[in-house]
Amino acid sequence: MADLPFVALSAITLAAIYGLLAIGISIIWSSLGMINMAHGFTFALSGYGAWLAAQYLSDAGPMVLAGGIVAGALSGVLICAVSFLPLHDKPNFVVRSMIATLAISLIGSQCLLWAFGPRVKALPKVFGEGTVEFGEVVFTADKVGAIATSAVVLLLTLFWMTRSRRGLEIRAMMQNPEGAALVGIGVRKTALWVMAVTGGLAGLAAVLLSQTFFVSPGSGLQPLVKGLIVALCGGLGSIRGALIAALLIGITEAATATYLGGQYVLMTQFGLIIAVLLARPRGIGGLLDETRE
Amino acid sequence: MTWRNPQIGKARPPGSRPFQSIGRRRWWPHPGWEGRRLFPRWRYPLTRRNVLWTEGEYNPKNLAREIRVIDKRPLVWAVGLVLLAVAPFATEDGTILSAASVFAIYAAINLVWMLVIGTAGIMSLATMAVVGAAAYGTAYLSITYEWPWWSLLPAGAVIGLLFGIVIAIPAIRLEGFYYALLTLGLAELCRVYVIQSRLFGSATGGLYGADTHIPDDWSDTGQLRFAYYCAFALMLAALGLYRAVNGQRLGRLLRAAPEKNEAFAEAIGIDYRRARIQVFLISSAALGLIGGFYAAHFKGASPSLFSMDQLLLMLAMIVIGGLGRAEGAVVGTLVVVVIDKVLVDWGPVRLILIGAIMLASVLFTRAGLFGIKTQFRAWREKKKSERRAKRQEKGGEVVPEEATEIADKQEIYRRRFDKQIRDYLKTLVTDEVVEEHRAKPLGQHSEALDRLLNYFRRGPMADKYAVYAERPFESYRIVALSGQRGVPPRLVNDRTYPSLEEAYHAVFLLRVNDLMES
Amino acid sequence: MTAPILEVRGLSAGYGPLRVLHDLDLTVEAGERVGIVGLNGHGKSTLFRAIAGLTDWQSGSVCIRGAEVGGSRSQGPGRHTHRIVRKGLALMPQGDAIFPGLTVREHLDAGAYTSLAWRERARRRDRILEIFPPLARLMDTPVGRLSGGERRMVSLGRGLMAESALLLVDEPSLGLAPKISKAVVEALMKIDLQDGAMLIAEQNLTLLEGRVTRLLGMHAGRLKGGGSVVLPGRHVGGGA
Repeated sequence: MADLPFVALSAITLAAIYGLLAIGISIIWSSLGMINMAHGFTFALSGYGAWLAAQYLSDAGPMVLAGGIVAGALSGVLICAVSFLPLHDKPNFVVRSMIATLAISLIGSQCLLWAFGPRVKALPKVFGEGTVEFGEVVFTADKVGAIATSAVVLLLTLFWMTRSRRGLEIRAMMQNPEGAALVGIGVRKTALWVMAVTGGLAGLAAVLLSQTFFVSPGSGLQPLVKGLIVALCGGLGSIRGALIAALLIGITEAATATYLGGQYVLMTQFGLIIAVLLARPRGIGGLLDETRE
Repeated sequence: MTWRNPQIGKARPPGSRPFQSIGRRRWWPHPGWEGRRLFPRWRYPLTRRNVLWTEGEYNPKNLAREIRVIDKRPLVWAVGLVLLAVAPFATEDGTILSAASVFAIYAAINLVWMLVIGTAGIMSLATMAVVGAAAYGTAYLSITYEWPWWSLLPAGAVIGLLFGIVIAIPAIRLEGFYYALLTLGLAELCRVYVIQSRLFGSATGGLYGADTHIPDDWSDTGQLRFAYYCAFALMLAALGLYRAVNGQRLGRLLRAAPEKNEAFAEAIGIDYRRARIQVFLISSAALGLIGGFYAAHFKGASPSLFSMDQLLLMLAMIVIGGLGRAEGAVVGTLVVVVIDKVLVDWGPVRLILIGAIMLASVLFTRAGLFGIKTQFRAWREKKKSERRAKRQEKGGEVVPEEATEIADKQEIYRRRFDKQIRDYLKTLVTDEVVEEHRAKPLGQHSEALDRLLNYFRRGPMADKYAVYAERPFESYRIVALSGQRGVPPRLVNDRTYPSLEEAYHAVFLLRVNDLMES
Repeated sequence: MTAPILEVRGLSAGYGPLRVLHDLDLTVEAGERVGIVGLNGHGKSTLFRAIAGLTDWQSGSVCIRGAEVGGSRSQGPGRHTHRIVRKGLALMPQGDAIFPGLTVREHLDAGAYTSLAWRERARRRDRILEIFPPLARLMDTPVGRLSGGERRMVSLGRGLMAESALLLVDEPSLGLAPKISKAVVEALMKIDLQDGAMLIAEQNLTLLEGRVTRLLGMHAGRLKGGGSVVLPGRHVGGGA
């Protein structure tokens, strides 16, 4: 079928974007023990951050990307300060922090609505309008750019996590918070770093996705749900699982959208997830490496 | 009526303590009771259940019989429900009356949801999905096949049950958060489906035209009031269901087997899986029934039922009130509905306000509004124990727990006095005093040394230091007397002293050491 | 005179209404190796955890190298532990507190938390390998897969990486076969303390006898013994 490369490309693009979100959620869960339901708000806020950068600073691609990433990191730090730092050693922390993040997302989206109005905003094209020819197939610049950027950023992040001191601290905290405290790793400072990095990843995803969709106050909801189910499917806490799950979900979405029609996308994705979770209740990665639980 | 403390004056079995045990005294009103029976117990007719948990007491001071209500919560509930029942007649405002019906319906949904989330501990966010599915299903049946309004309730229950079976299957395999997120996604899925499906009114933004129980020919206010009373009846039914499940056997089984701690319950023979499935089916059926009522009440269904905002609001309601108490569900719903529907003019600020209250209640309280009392008590206990730990020193003031065990209370005051003396004597110990004693152990001393020696010589016999003449004028040792008849003294250390003066001084040094350490 | 490495005065710690440590006094000078012996449940671990800030304590004071280490009263246990650790404390807890997914090398690197230690971490790692030779061939294995003795060595090595002034070793022989625990304790005794001090809590008296500067007994939350070993039948002078 001639559509196949197109489907594949869309699939990988979507997988890259959902992967950015899902890895963020996974890392936050396994290192901080918190389900960040405000990740969608981070997504929406980063979109606005990029838009503001485009409006007031410059139209150039890197500036818009930077605006989105910085806004995402700031949003992550804010969420950490409100929902993690006050609660992390109190009883019933997991449920309370989840509800706190939900409250933040409620307040946040209303604030965005109030500040920017309900009309959607468009972001300038980050990667230009060009196309790339590959034999007979034409790839649009934004898809190629999205895949390339996400791949580069993900690799950089993983490299940073494995090699740097900060990354080592984060990984140590993921596995044993008390042991981490005993080697001078402060939970609160490391938490800020984790949230900032994952927020930045979500910001990048927001800018990349906004090439296709618009920026609006409620634009965080769908990506949040998608990110959550990808993280779920991949197993909360497993980066490799999240990547594999992102790929599967991306393929499902692209294939369904092309062959069955847009309205069945969520249904097929759900079917896939339920199948995976019934077979492996802890997700794909649940047996790949040690999870927090 | 007098204000009495429940402990004092109560008839007690012989041999028990005559005074109040440790703790803050509680004062409660005890209304006078003119009647012949000391322990009146009213029963609900035809049952053996008491109306109020009371105890009758006889006040010896004014020779009156007094009644004490032990569990006051039914009274609070009664007052609250009566207020809610007469509320519609306090206003004619249409917004408030329609908001009131919405409150009652949401309160019913939250009560049933609390069964799943609070009692069973299953983090399920699929409530609105079930309600919405039932609402849509019954609306569709009513519009397309002309079903009457009274059939919508059981039809909704059946739809809810079927939907519930669908969601219960993953619940068995998945745990905790995985399940919560799955149900979240399910709600989103329903919303997307319903928006795009022509069958379910994508063109008109929902289904409209279902049959309703509200009579058309009444006045507007009358209709709203009637609607409210029907919804109120629904809420009372939900309350009854909550009590029937939570307060009876099924609830106890579920609470014994919370998430991650099921092993214990299983070990004592509780089939928690069956209990969870049962509560799931019951709550799904109940939610379906509420969905059917919703369709009859609003004459249709709209996709806003499935929206994330709606789910967040419902979550806010039970979080603000507190998970695990029925009062929490009702009061939380009241707070949120009042802000959301009555203060509509405030615009998006009201949602920010709700979010802020939710955030505050989750940051500062452990279990919502109705958990504050327990939380405050726990905090006060912690502060008390910290202060108690600070106060305790070696041989210092007697702590209240110890004080109740001591038979002769004068001992407490003796110890306190002793401590005061020792604190003063510690200030008297200086190098000069020690030097003075070394130079002249016996004979006239300065006032400071005199006081010290008087205190040492007055000490109790047990463990009192004495000098043992091993070989008189040649070697002396220090021993400690046992204080008991027939038990010989024990050697304190291996040193021998060639003269009595040195032995005296050594004893003095030991006693000073003990004084400084205490 | 330099300040003692550790000075504990009147420490009272407990869990809720239950008090575990009663008015504890302890002073450890530089160069000392102090052993604390006692049965399970009598407060040795609680003492160490209280010093490190992992357990709430209610009254008293703890000073490390003269600097007061505040009590985490209502804050929440563990909140200040990383700051206390950076003042010059290394706690090797009961049960090792290892990171199951990280390799041995990453564990040792994690222990080098000061910037100086991080820069010369390779050299310090080699020093640790001299002390615990069996780790040399396990450097890239995830610690979750190692045996009990190897894990103990990793945990001890991790604590040594930062060259802290005060080392608190909690039950080095717990759960280990006698031969291995002897080897572990031997290695501990060979460590050059320089200006630091080591505090070892053990149930097994014979492992420590004769090798430590001072031996204290812990019973029901109180420390006993100051200069000499407490043996049954003999009384220690001074206290009444």
